[in-house]
Amino acid sequence: MSNAYLTYAAKRLGQAVVVILLAYVFTFVVVSILPGDPITSVLRNPQNGFSEEEIAEIIAAQGLDKPIIVQLWHSLSGFLTGDLGMSMRSNRPVSTLIAEVLPSTLILASAGLAVALVLAMLVAYGTRFVPKRYGQGLLRGFPSLFLSVPNFVIGLVLIHLFGFQLGLFRVINPDSFWATLFAAIALGIPISAQIAEVLIANLDKEAEQEYATVARSRGIGQARLFASHLLKPASLPVVTVIALTIGELLGGSLITETVFGRTGIGSLVQRSVSTQDLPVLQAIVSLGAVIFVLVNLVADLLYPLLDPRVKILGGQKRQPTTADETSIGPTRVVTP
Amino acid sequence: MTFVANSTLSRGSRSGWAEALRMPPIVALSFLITATIIAWSIAPQLFTAYSPVVGVPADKLLGPSAEHWFGTDHLGRDLYARVVYGTASSVSSALVAVVIGVLAGGLIGLLAGFLGGWVDVVLARLVDVLLSIPKFLLAVIVVTAIGFETINAAIATGVSAVAIFARVTRAEVIKTRQATFVEAAFLSGGSRWFILWRHILPNASRSVLPLAVLQFGESILVIASLAFLGYGDPPPASDWGLLISIGKDYLKWPWLVYAPAFITIVTVLSVNRISRWLRKTD
Repeated sequence: MSNAYLTYAAKRLGQAVVVILLAYVFTFVVVSILPGDPITSVLRNPQNGFSEEEIAEIIAAQGLDKPIIVQLWHSLSGFLTGDLGMSMRSNRPVSTLIAEVLPSTLILASAGLAVALVLAMLVAYGTRFVPKRYGQGLLRGFPSLFLSVPNFVIGLVLIHLFGFQLGLFRVINPDSFWATLFAAIALGIPISAQIAEVLIANLDKEAEQEYATVARSRGIGQARLFASHLLKPASLPVVTVIALTIGELLGGSLITETVFGRTGIGSLVQRSVSTQDLPVLQAIVSLGAVIFVLVNLVADLLYPLLDPRVKILGGQKRQPTTADETSIGPTRVVTP
Repeated sequence: MTFVANSTLSRGSRSGWAEALRMPPIVALSFLITATIIAWSIAPQLFTAYSPVVGVPADKLLGPSAEHWFGTDHLGRDLYARVVYGTASSVSSALVAVVIGVLAGGLIGLLAGFLGGWVDVVLARLVDVLLSIPKFLLAVIVVTAIGFETINAAIATGVSAVAIFARVTRAEVIKTRQATFVEAAFLSGGSRWFILWRHILPNASRSVLPLAVLQFGESILVIASLAFLGYGDPPPASDWGLLISIGKDYLKWPWLVYAPAFITIVTVLSVNRISRWLRKTD
């Protein structure tokens, strides 16, 4: 491990910490300064039947009577020490609420990512083997089709076809194997489109490189060329793309959980939104940002080790394949 | 002053226009579909005689037929009419979202790229922060904070698109700033703001256009998702996402989901195809 790599890693780590802290502050500002007022909308709602003393007690406990900057400081220092505060509705620690539902969402999200990867590889590698005459164009069209279908529609179609018509799973039991599998498919399809797009573009680019022409001129077959020359250089950048899709994976599970009636982070968000339980929302959104930043940090740190073509110069990563030279931070893939 | 470089530039793009109007048939079809959708949103009453709100209870849950193209819903309302009348808010809110994204993101990107220095550093961090929060979660908390309405869902979607526009505009501005004709404009005494307005902005906007079209399609999807979760206007409205959400409770009559879903998908596909074509002809 060279000196340049360590400098790069330290720089990247510092950047990640700053972004996480700022993301927390940003969320706090959105949640607490924008018009909606949690005190009147939740506590004074006659349906909840809080008495004036109880309201005063909750306000004091949440620190809502203090100036906003004090609240922010309190909230941020709690976040740094792992204390996410109390739910305004159920009077339980936010961390407990999240810990209860996190495993279910993690199962769904990882299954969804697995589906996305398998599908993306099938489509992208397929374009190398299906001749132009026999539907290569169709295969190439899949990513843009998948990107145009909302994932709740995919979920509903799957429930209708496989749940209602074929009776493969029952919607009443959302945690069964089949229900989880189909939820993962609904979640994975739009994400597979983004991965497939990058894979196809990379394969096309590698196939035009001089080394590929040389290999072809030596009489190498299509399959050998793919397996021993194109596969590795074209697939490595996907590590970065996967890291970037983590955000969509989290957002997508919110909708997929609603469609399939699963309990998870998504249903917790839904419930907290309808009851304006701001501490829970604040915690979940910040957690989403933490996960996204950490996953991208790991991907950025791993990538130079995986791909020897990436050179680190003076603490900056130079990546010949997917990098947008003029941007700072993680490169965002623009989906065509 | 700077007109030599500039006039050759604009002449080049004008002769390119006639060339650019020739398009593959699939793109022409995409334009046709998009035009139809826009017509639906401007004058829905021209496309259907049925009311989107008042139904005939005796005709409830009929299948698609010549009379009711998309069938009828649980209150006997014509689903095609509901889709057509729902277009205005589904499509115009996506437009609002894109406008917010382009204006706010474009401004951030323009300032960051053009001024450079500490402004760039600060704005780049802001963009990093916006990118780090999962887009859909960001849209959900913004719409929660400002209230459940379709226009607020549009604003939330726009906010979540600011980062991507900022990033692309910044990259374009930096690329243009280093071009020789901009250097020439500086040398011949053009002021910073004149050059920004006259040279950098028009050139940077050229690659922002395909992105804006693409984001328009994506915004339709995000707003449909927010409406599906019930964060848009409540039921007498007929946003596409809301129609699908209502339809999911009547899966025995699947056209209630499939018809609005089909229209949504076809619209987004057309918009995306146009965006790809714009980028290729650029």
